[in-house]
Amino acid sequence: MIQFFRGFVSGIFAMLFCLVFSPLYLSAAEGQEYIAIRKEGTGNIALVLDKLDAKGRKETRFAEILDATMHDGLDFTRLFSLISPPLNVKDNTDRKNVVINFPALTSVGAEVYAGGVVTMKSDMIILDMKVYEAAGSKLLLNKTYTGTEADLRSVGHAFCADLVELLTGKKSVFGSKIVFISNKTGFKEIYECDFDGYGVEQLTNSKSISMNPTLSPDGKNLAYIDFTSGRPTLYIRSLNGGRIAAVGKSSVSIDPGWRNNNEVAATLSFDGNQEIYLVNSDGTLSRRVTNGKSIDISPTFSPDGSKMAFVSSRNGLPQIFIQDLASGQVKRLTFSGRYNTQPSWSPAGDKIVYTTWEKGGEINIFTINADGSGLVQLTQRSGENKSPSWSPDGEMIVFSSNRLGKEKLYVMNLKGGNERLLLQVDGEQTQPSWSLFR
Amino acid sequence: MKRNSIIVFVLMVTAGCSSKSAVTPDDGRSSGQSSSSSSVSIPSSPSGYGFDEWQTGPLGDVFFDYDSAILSTEAQEQLKQNGGWMESNVSKSAIIEGHCDGRGTSEYNLALGDRRAASAKEYLVRSGITASRLETVSFGEERPFASGQSEEAWAKNRRAHFVVK
Repeated sequence: MIQFFRGFVSGIFAMLFCLVFSPLYLSAAEGQEYIAIRKEGTGNIALVLDKLDAKGRKETRFAEILDATMHDGLDFTRLFSLISPPLNVKDNTDRKNVVINFPALTSVGAEVYAGGVVTMKSDMIILDMKVYEAAGSKLLLNKTYTGTEADLRSVGHAFCADLVELLTGKKSVFGSKIVFISNKTGFKEIYECDFDGYGVEQLTNSKSISMNPTLSPDGKNLAYIDFTSGRPTLYIRSLNGGRIAAVGKSSVSIDPGWRNNNEVAATLSFDGNQEIYLVNSDGTLSRRVTNGKSIDISPTFSPDGSKMAFVSSRNGLPQIFIQDLASGQVKRLTFSGRYNTQPSWSPAGDKIVYTTWEKGGEINIFTINADGSGLVQLTQRSGENKSPSWSPDGEMIVFSSNRLGKEKLYVMNLKGGNERLLLQVDGEQTQPSWSLFR
Repeated sequence: MKRNSIIVFVLMVTAGCSSKSAVTPDDGRSSGQSSSSSSVSIPSSPSGYGFDEWQTGPLGDVFFDYDSAILSTEAQEQLKQNGGWMESNVSKSAIIEGHCDGRGTSEYNLALGDRRAASAKEYLVRSGITASRLETVSFGEERPFASGQSEEAWAKNRRAHFVVK
């Protein structure tokens, strides 16, 4: 249903594009141009998200659900300070012409105002949203979102996505998924949930050991390691058709990472040595990337696919290296810490997040610029923090931590703040991977 | 009276053997050295360095240092014995499973376990065992033998485990 909705929206988008081709619209869609309400590093956007207007019992009920969905969704991003609407925000005396009281908005410190109306046409729910800049009373967004009752969550999040993209110029977390491992059933199986921990679904039932699930950037394929065959084998599963390719040539397969929608890299040891290979999404080998006798694992790629960060023991203890795919040139990235593993390249391409196993037994998460500068520690004194993975907008990191005993999934912002539990499910949850959908 | 004490002695020896199966690889090693009769040649019953409650088959396990796939002298000694058994049982083949302790990160441990299994296999192949009779697999930190967070438990989990097919 959500897939259909996405298709529907993109269909409309394509139609609009054909009918009213406008360079300005195109550049806005590409995220080149955005409304810079928030100056770089100045904190959250002060937003009044007004209660949706609705007439009729059904409409009012859907409006309330959408109110909560949009409020919780925007709150999850931690990009906004959500200010309650002042009582006199709307002048409704003239029923036909609702007037927004902009001075009242600026007096409570609001920078942006968002409000809308819910109506129905047969079984379709129609959400008309308007976004204004409070200070200049300028209309920033005027858009209609449509869906059935089952689509309510994605309808609300479609608006949230537009709002975030409009105000930050970046792709948002809305619509993205997190795949992870849970041992809830007694076996390590792969699960999926929405970006905010909602809608947990079990994806495998192999009653074996599954590891390191990761979705292709387009969300169509899932790569993972599974022991069903008796040995750790790389599987690539098409989520639409259910086709599963096993890369079975190998003796042992380790930790896949997508380079683009068609190529996933993983360590395979079928020729006696552990080497990183690029594998096509149909399971056929594309080419070998590394060549050495040491451990080379955990490939992660720059957004353009030209560079690969990975873990190597070529200098003894595991450290993170970057290899240029065209030239084959390899450069060591990490020099601090004796055991650095689990790299993940940020969607913007500037940073790499990874974990350090510290002497005292803690495992902590760090970010480092791709040029080796700007090392930042994100977690501390909180046990073992593992498997960091970026949100598609690069604003958040999901990871697992045993800080309260059992391993659970947490999210935090890219500076290590706002750490919070992502979801409460029985058992232990590990190895989260956030989809890119780029 | 004399007969009774002999029976008691025999019982103690057997009891000693079975209880030794629960001790650490280090203790197993020293016990193997102390009873000189069992460390000279292939033991008639599995005991000593490579054998414990998780390895009671004909092929002994070998143990590794922290973050290492290098074969110690004791490990090489055990592999020689395993090689001898493989030579005299040519119809048999074996799976060598690489295992790690649960510290560090699981992907790296999967790689390390693979290297442990591979170095055990390499030793046996060099000593003349046909490569196709030896299959390797890694379980990383996924299937620990001993539970608990102590050096004693970790040492038991850093091993190449032999399973005869």
